Amino acid sequence: MIFIVSLFIGPRAMSPFALSDMEKEIILSIRLPRVLIAILIGMALGASGALLQGLLKNPLADPYILGISSGASLSAALGIMSGIYLFGKFTIPLMAFIGAIFVSTVVGILGWRRGGLWPERLLLAGIGLSFLFNAALMFIMSVSTDEGLRRAVLWIFGDLSIADWSLIPYGLAFIIAGLIISILRAKALNALILGDEIAYSLGFSVYKERFVLFISIALMTSASVSLGGIIGFIGLLIPHIVRLLVGADSRILIPASALCGGGFLCIADLIGKSIMAPMEIPSGIVTAIIGSPYFLYLLRRRDVLGI
Amino acid sequence: MSSVYRDPILELKDVGFRYSRGKDFINNLNLSVRDGEIIGLLGANGSGKSTILKLAGGILNPTDGLITLWGNPLHLYKNKDRAKLLCYLPQILDINVPFRVRELVGMGLYPYDVAPEIEVDESLEMVGLKGKEESYIKNLSGGEVRRTFIAMTLLQGAGLLLLDEPLANLDIKYQIEILGLLRDLREKKDISIIMALHDINMALQFEKVILIKDGKILGSGGPETVLTKEHLKEAFDVEIEINRNYAGESYISYINNYSQKNIRVIR
Repeated sequence: MIFIVSLFIGPRAMSPFALSDMEKEIILSIRLPRVLIAILIGMALGASGALLQGLLKNPLADPYILGISSGASLSAALGIMSGIYLFGKFTIPLMAFIGAIFVSTVVGILGWRRGGLWPERLLLAGIGLSFLFNAALMFIMSVSTDEGLRRAVLWIFGDLSIADWSLIPYGLAFIIAGLIISILRAKALNALILGDEIAYSLGFSVYKERFVLFISIALMTSASVSLGGIIGFIGLLIPHIVRLLVGADSRILIPASALCGGGFLCIADLIGKSIMAPMEIPSGIVTAIIGSPYFLYLLRRRDVLGI
Repeated sequence: MSSVYRDPILELKDVGFRYSRGKDFINNLNLSVRDGEIIGLLGANGSGKSTILKLAGGILNPTDGLITLWGNPLHLYKNKDRAKLLCYLPQILDINVPFRVRELVGMGLYPYDVAPEIEVDESLEMVGLKGKEESYIKNLSGGEVRRTFIAMTLLQGAGLLLLDEPLANLDIKYQIEILGLLRDLREKKDISIIMALHDINMALQFEKVILIKDGKILGSGGPETVLTKEHLKEAFDVEIEINRNYAGESYISYINNYSQKNIRVIR
């Protein structure tokens, strides 16, 4: 329903029953891909947030804590600033994706010790790299006078306006792959939450499962960052909200976080692009403004266990 | 309780182990668990109890020697097959995610593609947690958390439990409760157990005790034969001895230069 409503509301509201040709065109080539991308990004962030909080056994973890987003931002900003539009409209997403995959690999290598990934090492490596990349990004922005600057800042706060049909297939592929892997390995995640030794005792290969889950987080986060920049709140708080509503069993938590994340970002984007039309508020700002009070309300109202 | 299988379920043969870059921690260790035994692995902190249990559970791999489970080398079992025979529970069960009792116990079925006949409710009833199915693990007492995990192992169906300090940090009431529960399960479910301990009082309650010091076995057998003054001095570095009162009950005497205190434990 959110999906359908989003199609017809926007800077220019349309009646679904009397569409002119131009309106059809707007819906098909601008709004539909944008709504789809919002849903995809939201799903990726919700699911990878739930995965990462379990994997790192840290309720404060969000997908961006691994530094993937900072690396992607830096890489994309370099692309924008240097003015090389090598791949046309693909430049930003492509640069961001390259940066994200590069950082994922580096974090993975730094987090690797004695034949496996260690959550504490991953977390610290991610935080360390984030600082480094953020500093580099700030430096570039402070010395640059480029008119691309505004674009870059917008993108970093979550900009869905570059949405376009051509981006969807590749985003879809990575995000769906990550989602399927994570849902299939949800039992292993449950077991890992109980501790490595218990997970092993329950018949799971701890290092292998952790590696597979990390790959799935890296895929989803990288794809989402390259599609729409950094969108806060969803990866961190959607899993918590969902946990309050449906419980902590990863087999339900992961798909539910994906659905809520997707729906929520879709609404946030709708609000962001309509409320001050024709100006757009980046989705990352809207998600935080609506989401945080709701989360704080839940925190007050419900008996919050485990966080 | 009767049993036909008299070969050891689990056997450690000449097992050696060293942590990376460390010196040998365990050397030529021989130990076996037979069907229906409940063994207390007693030793001071750092004596190697946990390491031995982790070796026995396959969590650590021995650098020397061989470990067999039901006659086959432990390391050749597939993870899921091993999980159906043997279960290790660490000392600290720290769950910071709001799992409910029912969810956690149900994870005992993870090694199975086709679930065995035992139900979550049945196993919760066995450990005395009926009515707590929907409680959050966080809201349970230490003893209840321990029992929840034991219920999980029941569902897992493993015939051998390796428990690291299952009685540590529990009030005496819960210690007795858990020990009673484990004995009860041995009768009902034909489970063998080896557990680490550092409390000598608790060791007196066991039929078989293995006393450990620096990764070596000082003695193995009934508490009366193993827990001699000399052994205890060597294992714990204190002057204590086990005495018996007129009724045949064992108690520990602490001996030192300043005073002599007796703490009695009914056995």
